[in-house]
Amino acid sequence: MFRESFLRPTEPACAVAIESKRAIYTFNLTSVNAPDASSTRNGLYSQTYASTASVQDYDVVIVGGGPVGLALACALVSPLRRDSSLRVALIEASDLSAVRKWQPEGDSFSNRVSSITNASREFLQGIGAWDLVDESRTMAIEEMQVWDGVSDARIEFGEATLPSGRGLEMARLTENLNLQRALLRRLDNLSSPTFTILDKTKVSSIVPDTERSTWPVVHLHPSQSSGVAHQAPERREQTSPLPLRARLLVGADGPSSPVRAFSKIETYGWSYDARAIVATMVHDGNLLTSFGTPRNTTTAYQRFLPTGPIAFLPLSTTRASLVWSTTPELAQALLDAGDDVLARMVNAAFRLPDLSMRYLHQFILDRWHAAVPEVVGADGKMSKKGYLGVDEIEGEIRWRERAHSIDASSALSSLPDATTRTSSGMIPSADAEFYPPLVGHIQARSAASFPLRMAHAERYLGQGVRTALIGDAAHTTHPLAGQGLNLGLGDCQSLANAIHTAHSLGQDVGSFTALESYPRQRYLVNHGMLSAVDKLKKLYGTRNGPIVWARSVGLETINELDGLKRMFMGVAGADGDADRVVRRRTPDRDIGRSENREGISTASAEAASGHSSLGNREEVVSRLESTSHGVPTWAGMLASAVEGVAGMVDVGTRILRQRF
Amino acid sequence: MFARALARFRGPNPLNLLEQQGRRTIATATTVNADEIAHFSKLSEHWWDEQGEFKMLHRMNPVRVQFIRDRVVRTRQDEGMPDATDLRGLNALDIGCGGGLLSESLARLGANTLAIDASEANIRIATAHSSQDPLFNASSSVAHKTLAYRHATSHDLVEEGKQFDLVCSLEVIEHVDNPAGFLESCAALVKPGGHLVLSTIARTPLAYFMTIFMAERVLGIVTPGTHSYSKYVNASELLEFFRTRIPWLPKGPADPPSHLAELRGMIYYPLSGNWGLLPRGAPLALDCNYIFWLRKPV
Ligand SMILES: Cc1cc2nc3c(=O)[nH]c(=O)nc-3n(C[C@H](O)[C@H](O)[C@H](O)COP(=O)(O)OP(=O)(O)OC[C@H]3O[C@@H](n4cnc5c(N)ncnc54)[C@H](O)[C@@H]3O)c2cc1C
Repeated sequence: MFRESFLRPTEPACAVAIESKRAIYTFNLTSVNAPDASSTRNGLYSQTYASTASVQDYDVVIVGGGPVGLALACALVSPLRRDSSLRVALIEASDLSAVRKWQPEGDSFSNRVSSITNASREFLQGIGAWDLVDESRTMAIEEMQVWDGVSDARIEFGEATLPSGRGLEMARLTENLNLQRALLRRLDNLSSPTFTILDKTKVSSIVPDTERSTWPVVHLHPSQSSGVAHQAPERREQTSPLPLRARLLVGADGPSSPVRAFSKIETYGWSYDARAIVATMVHDGNLLTSFGTPRNTTTAYQRFLPTGPIAFLPLSTTRASLVWSTTPELAQALLDAGDDVLARMVNAAFRLPDLSMRYLHQFILDRWHAAVPEVVGADGKMSKKGYLGVDEIEGEIRWRERAHSIDASSALSSLPDATTRTSSGMIPSADAEFYPPLVGHIQARSAASFPLRMAHAERYLGQGVRTALIGDAAHTTHPLAGQGLNLGLGDCQSLANAIHTAHSLGQDVGSFTALESYPRQRYLVNHGMLSAVDKLKKLYGTRNGPIVWARSVGLETINELDGLKRMFMGVAGADGDADRVVRRRTPDRDIGRSENREGISTASAEAASGHSSLGNREEVVSRLESTSHGVPTWAGMLASAVEGVAGMVDVGTRILRQRF
Repeated sequence: MFARALARFRGPNPLNLLEQQGRRTIATATTVNADEIAHFSKLSEHWWDEQGEFKMLHRMNPVRVQFIRDRVVRTRQDEGMPDATDLRGLNALDIGCGGGLLSESLARLGANTLAIDASEANIRIATAHSSQDPLFNASSSVAHKTLAYRHATSHDLVEEGKQFDLVCSLEVIEHVDNPAGFLESCAALVKPGGHLVLSTIARTPLAYFMTIFMAERVLGIVTPGTHSYSKYVNASELLEFFRTRIPWLPKGPADPPSHLAELRGMIYYPLSGNWGLLPRGAPLALDCNYIFWLRKPV
């Protein structure tokens, strides 16, 4: 009777739609003869009224069973105090039993790999999931080599010369599937009566609840996942599951988030007009240093080419993951050319000067454009697969190497004779460790590509609609810093904390006040990371002389000044022990890289003074935010450096302006 | 001159004033102020707008609930319930519940909660809001918490002879007439050995500046007229009241022992946007918003 006064002005129009929704619920009720497993477990549905038996109530409904959604579920489903647990449901369109059953052969690796930072790993340990990750399939990163594709200016992170002989772990490369499987196992082990997974189920629509205008109701339908349909067609329910009414609806539903659309939250950002080629690379692990000792296999390499960064991320002593961002056209041309050509090009892309890479890219594109598509497979799909021979690309690379007077004994040579040279136990040249091991071949069917974009939701909490966004639903970033998933896990931790605190204090966990600490803790941190990565991407996307000079000086300066490097590491939130992560380079290893050392050191003094004020400012911001997931180590540091040198505007004020 | 200004700010103790004017008995006293009821009735539809008029109260709520929960849980643990973590099984009364911000929290923590308010509009809003929540809506399958609202005054319940394990009246004393009579009715509603929790604002220049000058006039986050400075009660006055008029606490200037009573200041941190309890004995801790817990002797 007094509800009218409660409706917001826009709502009377919804009343009709809402009424018809009720009719749909009732219809569902009569067509579903048995309530589904989750509701019978509580035995609550038997004696309820028809009107409410047509929805299932949950405190938290998570849409999306990617790594971020599963991690949130793990964090919320507590093994303690079951009687007062939150009722949690997770909806995932795909078939999660495929993830549960994932059982790869020892030396084959999935192409979707993420570097899990120490902060993320601690969080995963805390929720009991990391112990279920198959650690033998993960790889610690103890050292990073990052360099400029145009000037070869280089920065190193890591400590390979600790007394213990062991380095300090900066991050751990982990297959996404390995992590997802662990999270699912954890949830299965908890077997909480108040938690339900609805996989093979798609969200078809989200509408405000009938009477309770701020409570969202999620309508579902079974997704047509072909994988299981043919095995047990009779088991596949044809009826839709009951709609779920959520106190809090969490969108962990990836970049095109339906929860974000329902919440009417805009995102801003742009497509990078780039794609990332991913693949699992196979190499001969039997490598030596220039001192004849076995070479460290815990080093990651990344070279910033003007077309995009290329990264070599070790997975085992003989396997590594490739993430090569480049133009969409070139990505397609490289994938069409086949695994062997891709392997040769990867080796060249880490070694040949920019000029030659440009030449090779053009060579490939010309051939690709000229090739005539042929029909492949039974479905009549057209493709240019195999338009380029391995010997052709080898010939081109050989020619380019000769033009730069790179001989077969040089670390810069990537041809087959170079491969035999290193594996035959010969002591390599002094700079061999600057470059990743030579890739022998690409693991079959592992090469693929993904579009890249930067996007940030303008808000993380819906206004008056009981929704929150986490992970890629809230933000996507360029993979060059390997931070996408880590940011998402940081979101999980913060949101789960807010929910637990509110729940323990009898607050409504779907209310804005209860969740406010989540965007407060995360928005600026994420924004800082996204814009730092965005700037890095743009800064390194140019061949413009002064900019290349400035960014190179910045990089070299930081690399030389341990104090400064440490400071950046501290600011960047490295594990308290920044000292040990930063290694001082020995002068003799610099030979041949920076000709004009005098020039650089004068410039470095200026750059240093510029950096320190920037560092302080960032430090204040990071102290202020004081979350457990600070801007992660090397990327944050590099970004700070680059920012100072290029004289870019204060991130802080811009973020603040955009946010508030 | 400065001293005169200060004296003006100190004002008379509202708990004594009425005593001097001649005692009224609890049974006949009416503490409800008609203007205050009209004021809050007018604002009632904003109770659950978390960004609006009652934003500060929404943000204050978790701290108040934590204070209450921790005091009650500690006593339960000390007195034969070592596993107690919440308010399960207690009968609680929320006097002056407004839109039900505190009442819903108490009920979620397991207390069988009755919430009363002198404004019928408030009770309507509170009822409408809690019925949206499946936890409290008897027709939902997950309902298992009890929360009831009544349009009534504390005196009505005293007359009915009701008593509760936990009686809360937060941010209410500064809005009633005859606060002394009101406190007596609150006290009468507590079972022997039960808990009484009160919160209000101190009558100090600081409180005037924060709650009236800044909140009502400068920032406009609270509707002007919400607070009347002269009705604010100082912590020392409240303590004295519960030593002499209602002798629950031992006499003397010493702080009451922590198993019988606790007084804590509350402060708003604008940067993090939340309220917190000030440490015991912090300077000026009790000079603005504060919360007071005490037990009725068995
Ligand atoms: C090439 C590449 C390399 C990367 N490398 C790294 C790295 O090194 N380190 C790192 O931290 N991050 C990395 N990332 C980013 C990382 O992969 C993502 O940030 C992460 O996967 C996001 O997880 P998520 O759970 O938020 O979203 P997603 O993994 O996208 O999961 C969303 C889920 O929601 C489900 N869903 C969507 N809509 C519906 C619907 N309507 N109904 C039901 N279910 C639905 C989908 O099925 C999906 O399972 C990389 C990304 C790319 C592209």
